[in-house]
Amino acid sequence: MTTAAPATKTPFAADYDAPIPYMQRTRDYYQVLGFNPYRWAHFVDVPFTPLRMPLGQARVALITTAAPFQPGVGDQGPGAAYNAAAKFYHVYSVSTETVPDLRISHVGYDRLHTTAADINTYLPLAQMKDAAAAGRIGALGPRLHGVPTNRSHRVTLETDVPELLRRCREDGVGAAVLVPS
Amino acid sequence: MCHQTVSLAARHLEANGISTVIMGCAKDIVELCGVPRFLFSDFPLGNSAGRPFDAESQRQTLELALQVLERAPGGRTTVQSPLRWSEDAAWKRDYLDLSKLSPEKIAERKKEFDEVESIARAKREAS
Repeated sequence: MTTAAPATKTPFAADYDAPIPYMQRTRDYYQVLGFNPYRWAHFVDVPFTPLRMPLGQARVALITTAAPFQPGVGDQGPGAAYNAAAKFYHVYSVSTETVPDLRISHVGYDRLHTTAADINTYLPLAQMKDAAAAGRIGALGPRLHGVPTNRSHRVTLETDVPELLRRCREDGVGAAVLVPS
Repeated sequence: MCHQTVSLAARHLEANGISTVIMGCAKDIVELCGVPRFLFSDFPLGNSAGRPFDAESQRQTLELALQVLERAPGGRTTVQSPLRWSEDAAWKRDYLDLSKLSPEKIAERKKEFDEVESIARAKREAS
């Protein structure tokens, strides 16, 4: 004879109501598609530089993985299918004086539950300008910088990230807000 | 992949004297890499800076990130935003949900993936 435990009410959240295990889901998915598992970057030590001045005096950079709109390479608008032709492969910089036309059709955002219709969900430029105007940060950097999302760790570590640092130094920033798409 | 890229970037900036904070939605990827400061929003990928067309949510998200930037006591500091994407968390089950894929759909996805890879490779080599 088998007996089932009576259903009990607990104060706990649903099992699935936890941060999505993206690495596991990606590994399982690509394994079913027949691909080898990807090795994600993993370090034991983490560098840490305390802010050297009050935030209200600091010049802060905005760094994004969004891509500049490219005419002629297909749909990059809200809800567009994954568009590999819209990718970019070099660090770029644009003035923060303007509102640049940056899109995220080139990356795997959650197309089932969001559409990327509002640039402010992946590029907090307007909010950072407000923060600068209110004195919450000393200033916004003169340029925002875009970093390519490359599966090659070597290219990211040896080419893209040093170039990003060089540009941040040129801009004289003491801090940076980085926003993945 | 975006979350890994910015994690590597934050580490490099930080090691060279620039304080950083990441605003993101993929907790596991950022934390495995290991970054100085991370404001985690439990939202669908694509909404690292707040909810669409909700300026107050976007303001709160940046403000929390700035507080993390100012006050983190050391590396690997993660703070989770209290904002919820929706009352029902069922959306979290959908991302790359294999249980919804038939063998035909899997074959179709593999073909799509190969096509996308070939476009990306051509573009990469031309750049």
